[in-house]
Amino acid sequence: MQLKNLSKAGIFAVILVVAFIVGWEWHWRSKGFQITFNDDKQLWAVKRAEVYQTKRNATVFIGSSRIKFDLDIPTWEKLTGEKAIQLALVGTSPKLLLQDLAEDENFKGKLVVDVTEVLFFSQNPVFHKSANEAIAFYKKQTPSEKLGSTLNFALEQQLVFLEEKRFALNALLHDLEIPNRPGVFAVPPFPKGFEWTRFDRQTYMSDMFLADTSLLNRQTAIWEKLIMADKTPPVSGKALEKEFEEIRMAVSKIKTRGGQVIFVRTPSSGPMAKGEQKAYPRQRYWEAMLRYVQADGIHYSDDPGTANMICPEWSHLSPKDAITYTHHLVNTLREKGWFTSQKTTL
Amino acid sequence: MLFNSYSFVLFFAIMLALHHMPFSWKTKKINLLLASYLFYAAWNPPFILLLWLSTFVDFHVGRALYNENNRTRKKLLLVISLIGNLGMLCFFKYGTFLLENFTTLVTALGFEFHPASPSIILPAGISFYTFTTLCYTIDMYKKESQPVKSLLDFSLFVTFFPHLVAGPIVRPPQLVPQFQTPRMATRLQLMQGLFLLSLGLFMKVVMADTMLAGASDSVFNFPNPLMPLDAWMGVLAFSGQIFFDFAGYSTCAIGVAMTLGFTLPENFRYPYGAIGFSDFWKRWHITLSAWLRDYLYIPLGGNRKSEIRTYVNLMLTMLLGGLWHGASWTFVVWGALHGIYLCIERMLRSKKTPREDSELEIQPTIITSKRKPMQTVSASFAPSFLRGKKMHLFFAALFTFFLVNVTWVFFRANDFSTAWRLLRSMFGFVENGAVLLSTLDILRVSVITILLVLTHWFMRNTNVLALTQKTKWWATGLAWAIMLILLVVSQKSSDSFIYFQF
Repeated sequence: MQLKNLSKAGIFAVILVVAFIVGWEWHWRSKGFQITFNDDKQLWAVKRAEVYQTKRNATVFIGSSRIKFDLDIPTWEKLTGEKAIQLALVGTSPKLLLQDLAEDENFKGKLVVDVTEVLFFSQNPVFHKSANEAIAFYKKQTPSEKLGSTLNFALEQQLVFLEEKRFALNALLHDLEIPNRPGVFAVPPFPKGFEWTRFDRQTYMSDMFLADTSLLNRQTAIWEKLIMADKTPPVSGKALEKEFEEIRMAVSKIKTRGGQVIFVRTPSSGPMAKGEQKAYPRQRYWEAMLRYVQADGIHYSDDPGTANMICPEWSHLSPKDAITYTHHLVNTLREKGWFTSQKTTL
Repeated sequence: MLFNSYSFVLFFAIMLALHHMPFSWKTKKINLLLASYLFYAAWNPPFILLLWLSTFVDFHVGRALYNENNRTRKKLLLVISLIGNLGMLCFFKYGTFLLENFTTLVTALGFEFHPASPSIILPAGISFYTFTTLCYTIDMYKKESQPVKSLLDFSLFVTFFPHLVAGPIVRPPQLVPQFQTPRMATRLQLMQGLFLLSLGLFMKVVMADTMLAGASDSVFNFPNPLMPLDAWMGVLAFSGQIFFDFAGYSTCAIGVAMTLGFTLPENFRYPYGAIGFSDFWKRWHITLSAWLRDYLYIPLGGNRKSEIRTYVNLMLTMLLGGLWHGASWTFVVWGALHGIYLCIERMLRSKKTPREDSELEIQPTIITSKRKPMQTVSASFAPSFLRGKKMHLFFAALFTFFLVNVTWVFFRANDFSTAWRLLRSMFGFVENGAVLLSTLDILRVSVITILLVLTHWFMRNTNVLALTQKTKWWATGLAWAIMLILLVVSQKSSDSFIYFQF
């Protein structure tokens, strides 16, 4: 009797679960959502393991979210014949990533460092957390975790709802947006269809997001809230010099081993760009850093082709503009002797 | 390998298939042993050497201990086994802690001493398998059970993957006989095992990681004083998190073993429904408290000596129990608080008249009863005005839960300053405490805590498999499906279990 009951219960449960999975997947697909990968430490670790390719074969990118949107990897690879290894982390300063590569004696390749000043020069531990976690995960990854990642990617490739940031229980609960007590800081959920991420860690804005003004406005309101929330003044004086020194040491280590490092400043626009220019004047931060570090840099405003690019939500380029930006970036890099191959561009 | 990982799902499916194939029993045992080594090596392959060393040494020392009649040589063998097992545990788990404390001490005495940081990696599950092998050699010394005849059976007893990394801590008589005769799960065992595995994963992934870990981490990592509401919510969140995390692991382990036809001892029995602390320790990490009782408290003299000595033994047992959990003084304070609670409870009980005792149906505590089966405790130190009525006992359970929560502050806090800051915040001894938690966090911690305490109260004399027998099949199926659906939707597939660090 007990066996019969439990067996019936088990079969009933399996039917309900399968029905739910089919229905849940259909529900999100019918709303226009598509396959996207979790842009997490597992995926980052896969890309981190690829940095040991020769200078002839690949360029590694580190930075924050902007380079993930603004560099179009297929365009880059088509133009250069080189692989683009995307290691930038969203909402994170790349300083720890730079230091991690500098400490890795086996890394002797080419490195592009994307600078978003508010994150890059920040000493707030919040902006270094993801980098810390990703590096630690990569270094301590167990055989079981590696196998788990492989299985995970295979499933994520098939099912839309397996994207934690958008469809996991926590994300769905946060979507309820229950009002908080005065004084509680909470980041409002990003619009659900903001962006997709591919296996190569290329991130791009979705058509549904770009077509919906209310979603664009919602996203800009989130940026405003986040900017307003950070009351710490921009780093300056001795503390800034210390930051410069740490960056200089890391860059120097890579160059000593025969590697190449260049800094890029990707576009921003609207109130975001104005705020950034006010808080982090180019001369005091970007130019001063390049001088101190003795490294080359590419600022979007120096190239007439990128100087006036518009970011739909002030901070990242649309997929179409990312292709244009990548063309310009490749051209500028080629002029600076970054590539050894002779592939032609525009 | 974690139970809540895709790697384990694959591993488990292969193991289950292999175990149900028509191989000889010896082949199946070899399969299980190799799979257990693979399960362990999937974390950090080199540490498997420690496991082999421990298994090999204890198998031979255990047999020699049993057969040795010369008392001096017998004691020498026991000392070798203790040094081997505890030495390994001390080096890996307490090496850094001991060095830090020694450095602090000599610096306080005015000596300059700056040792290099040893950066020792803790092998997964070392506290658990050390206790498993220790109890074997001690039992052999005392001739409390027969030595295991085959190295294969002994290796499997130590390494059997469901219990290897985080318990339940098994004793030789509980598991070794199960390896001696062919075993295959009945269909009922298979279904029950799968149900328990689903329940355990639900507890870990949905309840601990998805619903509670966020609030708990936010509060315990917050560097400033908090409003009492936030502080309490953080502590209650951890209280639920650690239960769901650890009991979830044990439930998975018992379920997995059951699908293969093996029975592991119960490790949790609705501890937040406990009335008093002796009752709590009969319900929380049962196999550890029983181990401490039999291999520490009783050898120290238990309650067979003077009253004062009994209290000293109780305190020592709980202090070492605290230290077992982690190499930090905060764990020692956690153990000390439990020891103090147990001593006060014992004092209160000894003052009661026999009539009061019979009214309260007091059962022997876990500390004083040697290897008795689990018994239900109706009450142990409920105040007189609460006695006799179930509602009053419920309030006594709530009071116990309240005190347990105070101890969790020391268990979870990384240091004493965090613990004090949080305690001051909880009891309103701070001004202008920060508001931290979102309404969503407060709602989920509150709802889950209320449901958790009520469930533990109403389930305190039964268990979940008994409940499935009484429930309609469709209701069980629906509950099972909801657990699995929430598991799928939670998507947290690889967060480690809290007890892995112990």
